[in-house]
Amino acid sequence: MNPVFDLAAVGLLVVVTAVLGFAGVRLSRTTSDFFVASRSVRSVWNASAISGEYLSAGTFLGLAGLVLLSGAEGFWFPIGYAAGYLLVLLFVAAPLRRSGAYTIPDFVEARLESRAARRVTSVVVLVIGWLYIVPQLHGAALALGVVAPVPPWAGAVLVAVLVAGIVAAGGMRAITAVQAFQYWLKLTALLVPAVFLLVALSGGGADVDPAAVFPAERGPAGADAYLTGSLLLALLLGTIGLPHVLVRFYTSPDGASARRTTVIVIVLVGAFYAVSSTMALIARVVAPDLAVPGLADTVVLALPSRVLPGVVGELLTALIVAGAFAAFLATSSGLVVSLAGVVSQDVFGGSVRSFRLSAVLCTAVPLAMALLTQPAGLVSSVGLVFVFAASTLSPVLLLGVWWRRLTARGAVAGMAVGAVACGAALLGARLVANAGPVGVLFAQPAAWTIPLTTAVLMVVSLADRGGIPFRADRYLARLHTPDTRPGRGAPDRAT
Amino acid sequence: MPRVRVTASDARRGPRTATRGFALPGQTPDDAETVFSRGLVRTQLRLALGCVAAFLAVAATLAGVVFALPVLGDPVVFGVPASWLLHAYGFYPLMLVFALVYVRAAARNERRYRALADPEESA
Repeated sequence: MNPVFDLAAVGLLVVVTAVLGFAGVRLSRTTSDFFVASRSVRSVWNASAISGEYLSAGTFLGLAGLVLLSGAEGFWFPIGYAAGYLLVLLFVAAPLRRSGAYTIPDFVEARLESRAARRVTSVVVLVIGWLYIVPQLHGAALALGVVAPVPPWAGAVLVAVLVAGIVAAGGMRAITAVQAFQYWLKLTALLVPAVFLLVALSGGGADVDPAAVFPAERGPAGADAYLTGSLLLALLLGTIGLPHVLVRFYTSPDGASARRTTVIVIVLVGAFYAVSSTMALIARVVAPDLAVPGLADTVVLALPSRVLPGVVGELLTALIVAGAFAAFLATSSGLVVSLAGVVSQDVFGGSVRSFRLSAVLCTAVPLAMALLTQPAGLVSSVGLVFVFAASTLSPVLLLGVWWRRLTARGAVAGMAVGAVACGAALLGARLVANAGPVGVLFAQPAAWTIPLTTAVLMVVSLADRGGIPFRADRYLARLHTPDTRPGRGAPDRAT
Repeated sequence: MPRVRVTASDARRGPRTATRGFALPGQTPDDAETVFSRGLVRTQLRLALGCVAAFLAVAATLAGVVFALPVLGDPVVFGVPASWLLHAYGFYPLMLVFALVYVRAAARNERRYRALADPEESA
């Protein structure tokens, strides 16, 4: 590894990000620009941006580390992340676009006609966003620590400062340009090294024993059925409840284009995960000695130099470093945009200045959390956020879009129970460290927290007969009936 | 469920158009329109649930194949056991197929709704 190349790559990424960000500033003048890029972002561009912010440190660095550590069961994570978008497409993409709301709390307030439900949703959105940013900052600290002799906090602070600066300066329009660019950078940063490595490995004579590198007990059939099933449930449903995913659908011109965008996202995300999985397979062949907790997440950075010593390997490593920082930046800034939108509308008046202030606040909190905690496995930290989202916001959104009997009390009760259940499972997993039946339930709680939340939501809503929103039927009709003119944006009626 | 068939059927177009005259501008939607949009919601929900069920069934079958391969003497392709390769790459094309099928079907449902609700415009 060559620190000069690596730091130059990070520097170049920062410069390009800043230039794209500030080029967007000239375009973003009004409040509406700041929040949703005035809804004029084209499908491919928007899909690249969505994929750019969705692909986080968890899959860029973490997937290869997890597959190296625990085997093929790690592949379930990207499968779940990608399939989550299929559920977004099937259940919420077009209806949420037609709702005309800026943020998830906006949608909940409009659908349930309740300020209280909005406040609770805002709190849940903030918790999810902060929990999601922390592993990105941990990843940044880890990656920068590997490539250069800097203290561990430097990477986290660097990313946090950049994110807060770009978001506060440009808002969503700038972020769309930055993130679309960062998707293609991330794909290139893994695809080019993967091709080089595969060519080098296939030319170097196959002296690896498949049975030793890919042992059957670490293979697909070795995973625990409950753990895998529960995890997949969380990943599938969790995507619907992620704050930075949904805010993007408000930038599509209409419901049909929101669907088109989501299909392109499935293609882009799947392509990236296929490349990322290739790096994971290469890691098992080339670097079995790095299969140590704490070290494994850095394996992708080590691969090029192992196979291709010299300048080629160093340049490829620098490319991967740039891609990794793109991953940290893109996900964190997407989250900060959506969180700042929520905070500025709920706490302050919703003006441009309050959006800027909120962006700084929303970056400072997770930075403090990242500096105070020790990094765990990147993939599992991100997986935890999906469990929380799937147990709180996802049922509210799904039932809000499809079930007219949902009431504000039901939504609040469901989110509260889901959040408490997730917190209890997290604590329980710390206390019960063994792998007994109870420990397993705490380790992957989604299989019981999601049904629990949904049951509470439905029971409380059904009991709350007078609480059905006055305009529920009209609102549902608006969500599901096609926009007035196909291909053009429908005029926004009362929000 | 008979109601949904009413929504999707072209046979009822004529009579339904006649009832639209009861709605006054700016007032609550008339009965026909409510029935149409509720029918659309139900059709779209059934389509989405059907797609999820079909996707899960196909994905579970693929997972079954992935689990069964090691027992059946996993063939090694490019130095990697086929079960690992299938697990790493096999699921993404499935998602794309189901996504495309859904988008086409959902758009078709909306075209039918539009034909019912606004026969003049979409004719």
